[in-house]
Parts: sequence; C-alpha cells; structure tokens
Amino acid sequence: MACGPSRDGFSRAVRPEKFASVVTTPGQPMLVATDVHRHFEGMRAVDGVSIEVPRGQITGLIGPNGAGKSTFLAVLAGTLPATSGTITFEGQDITSMPAYMRARRGLVRTFQLPSEFARLTVIENLLVAAQDNRGDSLFGALMGKRYWIADERRLVERARGLLSRFGMTAKESDYAGTMSGGQKRLIEIMRALMLKPRLLLLDEPMSGVHPKIVLEIQHYLEALRAEGLTILMVEHELHMVERLCDTVVVMAQGKVIGSGTMASLRRQREIVDAYLVG
Amino acid sequence: MNTYYAANLLIYAGVDIIACLSLNLVFGVSGIVNFSFIVFQAVGAYTTAVLSLPPDSTSGYDFQHYIGGFNLPFPIPWIGGALAGGLLAIPVGFVVLRKLRSDYQAIALLVMSVIANTVITNADKFLNGAAGLALVPQPLSTQVDPSTDAYYYLYVGITAVAVVIVLIVANRIVNSPYGRSLRAMRERELAATAIGKNPVAMKMTVFIVGGVIAGLSGAILVGFIALWAPSVWLYPETIILFAAVIVGGKGNNIGAILGALLVPVGFEEVTRFIPPIGPVGLIPALQWVAIGLLIIGFLWFRPDGVRPESRRVFEGGPAREVR
Repeated sequence: MACGPSRDGFSRAVRPEKFASVVTTPGQPMLVATDVHRHFEGMRAVDGVSIEVPRGQITGLIGPNGAGKSTFLAVLAGTLPATSGTITFEGQDITSMPAYMRARRGLVRTFQLPSEFARLTVIENLLVAAQDNRGDSLFGALMGKRYWIADERRLVERARGLLSRFGMTAKESDYAGTMSGGQKRLIEIMRALMLKPRLLLLDEPMSGVHPKIVLEIQHYLEALRAEGLTILMVEHELHMVERLCDTVVVMAQGKVIGSGTMASLRRQREIVDAYLVG
Repeated sequence: MNTYYAANLLIYAGVDIIACLSLNLVFGVSGIVNFSFIVFQAVGAYTTAVLSLPPDSTSGYDFQHYIGGFNLPFPIPWIGGALAGGLLAIPVGFVVLRKLRSDYQAIALLVMSVIANTVITNADKFLNGAAGLALVPQPLSTQVDPSTDAYYYLYVGITAVAVVIVLIVANRIVNSPYGRSLRAMRERELAATAIGKNPVAMKMTVFIVGGVIAGLSGAILVGFIALWAPSVWLYPETIILFAAVIVGGKGNNIGAILGALLVPVGFEEVTRFIPPIGPVGLIPALQWVAIGLLIIGFLWFRPDGVRPESRRVFEGGPAREVR
C-alpha cells in the first residue's frame, strides 16, 4: 500500500482496491463543469459554477453554509438535474445522464447525512453496490443460486478485503443501522469503493464523526489518492481540507469565488472575508 | 369436518398464501405500498373467467353479459389470468411508480382500486356489472366431476403445486443479489440510485412479477368458487392481506405464509364461529375493527412481525457481536 499509517485494520497486507479504470493522463481534468446552474423556484442555489476536477487528486469544495456546495455535488452526481450548464466526465457530456448511469460509469457520490441501508448487514451494504454480479437481475435471480454463486463468493471476498482494510471485519454481519455515525461514514465510503469508482464525490465525510474516526477517514482518503483515485470533497473542517486537498474551490452564494491551494486562498482578502475568517 | 369444507379451507389458504407472497415481494421486500393489490387478483380472476366461459349468447349463460367467452381448456385460462395481472401492472406502474413519492404512490394505488371497482360495478355489459360472472367452468371439470371428493382433492393438489412454484420463484428473488438490491431500494431509494441502481426499472419489474402472481391467485380462486363479482374484491380485502404480511413478517416469505394462515384464513375462520350478538352486521363490523387493531398492535409492539426478515450471514464471516 502506497500510503498508510501503521495501524491495525489498515496497514495489514490486504490487496488494495484497484482503480485500474483510471486513465492517468496528466493535465487532463477528469470532470469539467461549465456554467452550471441549479435554481429552486427562483432561488439560485448554484449560479453559474465552472470547475475542473484534476485527475488523481483530492479537490476540496468549501464555503459557508448555504453556499450551494452540496447542491452542486448533487448536480454533478445527477441526483439533482442541472437547470442549465454542461458537465463532462472523462470527456463525455453527462449533463442529461441519470444518476444511476453516472454511478455505473464511475462517478459515485456519498451523502451529507448517513445513508446506509439500515436493514442490510454491513457486508450486504457493500455487496449491493457491486455491478458485476450475475444474480443482480430478475433473470439471474430466477436462474437460481448456481447461476450467480461464483460471482457472489468473489464479491464477498472483495467486500471482506475492504472491511479488513477499514477495520470493520468484526461488524460484517451486524445491521448497518446499528452502527455509529462514524462507522456509517466508513460504510458509505466502502460501499462507494465497491463500485470501483473513477471519481468519488464525498459530501462532508467528517461531519458529526468522532475525532478518532476523522483521523482514520483522513488516512483512508490519502491512501485512496495514492492508489490513483480522484476525489472531490465538500468539507467544513478546514485543517482537514488543508491537509488532504491538492486544490480547493471556494463557493459562496452559489458562485465560485476562488480556487487554488489553501495557502494561496488564505492570501486572497475577499475569500478570507467571505469564509476563512479565523 | 366434511371434505368440501376442508378443501375450501385449504384452497383459500393456498390462494391467500400466493397473494401474500406476491404482496410480500412488492411491499415487504421492495417497499411499494400496493394498496390496489386486490385489483390485480381481480383482473386475473376476470380474465380466467372470460377465457373459460363460453360466449354469453350460449344457452344457459345468456342471463349475463360479458366480453369474450372463449371456452378455453385448463390451464390456458390460468396462464391468461396470470399474464393479465402482469400486463395490468405495466400501465399502472408506468403512471404511479415513475414520478410519485412512495406515500403518494400508496394513495394513487388506493384510489385506483376504488375507481376500478366502481367502473366494473357500473359497466353492466363489460363483466356483468355488480352481479358479476357466474357458472365459470371449473378446471378439468369435463374429466372429473366437480361435485365429487376426488375433484376437491385434485383442486387442492393443483393449488399446492401452484403454491410451491410461487414459493420457489419468490425465494429465488428474495434470496438473490437482486433481492438485496430490492431491499436496498426499499431502505433508501436515493442512495440506491447513487450506487447505480435504477429504482424505476426495479419497481416496474417487481410490480409486474407481483401482478403475475396476484393474477394467478385470482385464477385459482375463481376456478374453485366459479363466480366473481365486484363485491369480492373491494379495497378492504387488500388491507386484510397487508395485515397478514405485517403480522407474519415483512420481507420474509415464511412470514408471509404464516401471516396468510393467521389472518385471512385463521382469524376470519375463527371469528366466523362467534355466536350472533347485537344488531345484524355487528360481528362482521367488529371483524374489521379487529383487523385494524391487529395492524396497529403489530406495528406498535412487533413491527417486524412474527417471523422477521432474516439476517443474511455469509459463510466464513465473524460471529455476530452481542449487543
């Protein structure tokens, strides 16, 4: 593993998830949003946002409450349609593509509030996200267990690899709804990783999480970046953003008001006034 | 207990088990509150009836008016009834399941149930209106005399085979990765979308499968009782089946079977023996009150039912922690 703290459940010799689908073409952004708007009955939640998400990096999206960050993330993921503007992912226009298709193409989001499947076990939460299971269709289901059991076994092993890596092996058979807030965040991240994402959209992954788990999540994200995964992350914890993000985009009142490294942003007066005070 | 009574009880049990397995698939596993379930059973029954009946101009049948009358042999009417249930699910699902939020879906389906019953009741020339269809030919009645014990045994046997087939289908769906996806959709539709599931397609698919099974249950019932009228598929009948699935255990096929045996069969059969007291209609009215209390009681004290949805533990996994 390229980047991992010496900690039980993380540094052990588990084969890391491969993000083989990531085409490492330096300089070419993985996702480009151009003049994206999202209006709610006249209220401009996202008002002409244009950003580029560089490949293989962690990009931070920060801004005060109500800046439109989560709405923008939802528009990128397709869970909210854009009022206008264009979004291209890996060079393809995905503006009118439904959310589930975007996810299947590797543009995967997590949510601001925990969104585990409560009455599924922890490992089932991971397995349900896998795209390559022959039993995950009506036809496959009706064909019977023999038709899909090999896929299922392979995916169980993959899910167990992730559980081991994220230190949650012991929770495998527990209902996800009984997990703590931090564990639910980890489940969401693992679930997203089961899809073999190309770009992970994280909506406040540290929100409401115990400081110990915050540190764990930070290490996991660093390791994922080292493996080539591209991440766009909405986050309020600025010291975490500073530590993790290569590039940071600042939003306020639905617009982008600046971007760059945290150090460079701290030198821009209007951004400091708008958001970075203190 | 005479043979007819026993056969009657067993066939109703079979029909209710099939109906509850269908409702469990749609509601218990997939989270679609199909308050129009009984309409799918009814369309299966009506289709079976008109496929079995001779034309309404035939002597002895000319006291009623209905479309069709194809006089087809068993099992074609049953297959037709099942297919009709599935076909009905396509336009209904297309209207209700694509855009509406789940609570509005439930209301729309309930309204549809009321409208469908009202339309069929008032459209005299279509399916004989409120009087309904009578003298529906029973399956294999030309080979075996339907008034004999042998025929009752035969019908119970055919019903049992249908129950087994439906149970196998339901088990394969529920216990497969596809069933897991359906349960994920039930838990959080938006999160399921975000991991690449297409909830509309999944809902439509399971709604059609549920419609086919419901249609089959109607086909079996009309084949036995030989008549079908709007009074037997009023919307409260759906509530009884919901009560069965809730009592038995949502999401669990064994629970659905248990619920079918406890509520529509057991509960209704037991209350039939209560001596008539008070004004006429008091006991049947109290039955409905009891069904309502049963639902509320279970949702309050035992929301997972008698046989809750089972936890899936994979081979080689760690022992579950005791909480």
